[in-house]
Amino acid sequence: MAGTGSCLVLFLCSHAAGNATLFHSLRLFQAYANQLHGHPMIIYVLSKGLFLTFAIHIITGILLFWQNRKARDHKYKVQKRTVKMSQASRTMIYSGLFILLYLIIHTSAVSFGDHETIGLTISYLFSSPLVILFYITAFIVLAIHLSHGFWSMLQTFGVNHPKYNKLTGWLTYIVPISFLLIFGAIPLLFI
Amino acid sequence: MTKNSIDLTLKIWRQENSRKTGVFETYRLKDISTDMSFLEMLDVLNEKLTREGRDPVAFDHDCREGICGTCGAVINGVAHGPEPETTLCQLHMRHFENGDTLVIEPFRSRAFPVKKDLIIDRSSLDRIIQAGGYVSVNTGGTPDGNATPIPSATAELAMDAAACIGCGACVASCPNGAAMLFTGAKISQLSLLPQGQPERKERAMAMVTAMDKEGFGNCINAKECEAVCPKGISIRNIARMNREFVKASFLG
Repeated sequence: MAGTGSCLVLFLCSHAAGNATLFHSLRLFQAYANQLHGHPMIIYVLSKGLFLTFAIHIITGILLFWQNRKARDHKYKVQKRTVKMSQASRTMIYSGLFILLYLIIHTSAVSFGDHETIGLTISYLFSSPLVILFYITAFIVLAIHLSHGFWSMLQTFGVNHPKYNKLTGWLTYIVPISFLLIFGAIPLLFI
Repeated sequence: MTKNSIDLTLKIWRQENSRKTGVFETYRLKDISTDMSFLEMLDVLNEKLTREGRDPVAFDHDCREGICGTCGAVINGVAHGPEPETTLCQLHMRHFENGDTLVIEPFRSRAFPVKKDLIIDRSSLDRIIQAGGYVSVNTGGTPDGNATPIPSATAELAMDAAACIGCGACVASCPNGAAMLFTGAKISQLSLLPQGQPERKERAMAMVTAMDKEGFGNCINAKECEAVCPKGISIRNIARMNREFVKASFLG
């Protein structure tokens, strides 16, 4: 989960950087899309790699979810959680599945559409307030998913030391909020 | 009810053996001294049940001073009860209010089958230790105490991990019934010290493999284990176990 998760965070960084061209103008964004599709090898390798990474992340996540449910086969009559933070961690599968739903809709509407008119596609898409609402909801869910996922990834890689825990504690808020701000602002540009 | 005593309603999990399904039974206790420990309160209940010709509640206990790791139950949804860093035997009745209802359940996990009432079979933890939680020492003369220098900070970290009494509260409180805090502490304790170096990699691989084989769940970093651990074992030990495991698997 952590290995593929870290790859997906890197993808989000590049995706956010590319989309940031929209803050300048739709024309620059279209030029970026054309430029990107001018290198079919890069598109081929990255899109296949990305699909594989997503697939491994999702399938492993679902398998672990079932394994964990089986390991806790007897429920307690009374269950009190002592850690407040763990709300996001216990809903990873649900936030993850919602992001999957978003991915299916987003890729079929935008990514697999005609890249030469991608600028028009998104401005048409974001003319509907419902689509804007759905996109922003998905970005909030993504931020919740990452608020546990980012720290959890570091812990799984064994990064836990009193010297750096303050920094990783901050990053676990800064990273999801940055993605939320960048991605969330884009649909709002079209209002 | 005198000044330093309370009345309680107990809902306790009663299960005859691992094959039968259990039920909750309700008991009322009057005049429980607030100076009693939780286990002493259960002793009072059992004396009462015995006098009435009923089957006393079976529960595990040994040292009753919080160092052996034998006792443990989930009290109102929290392993070892509401006090932090306290085993059930060191939990005193002064932490409860008059008229409280306490739901008492055994530690639960697929890898911890219930033997009777509150007694569970924790031999799955023993098998993790058997897989590699030891150092092999050749026989011979007693080595000098100061022959192997260990930096003070390292010794402290190893001691923090070694404080684990193997009670299983981490498994009981984990949303997935994972034994990562236990295994992490046991691997850390030995991998930090010079005496644990020769078997370091084999140990990490063997203990993690044994843990998976027992049917424990996987860690999702929910941190519940660290919050209920009576010895305050940090999840830093899980991170260290992950490092040890990655090193052992990729660097051979």
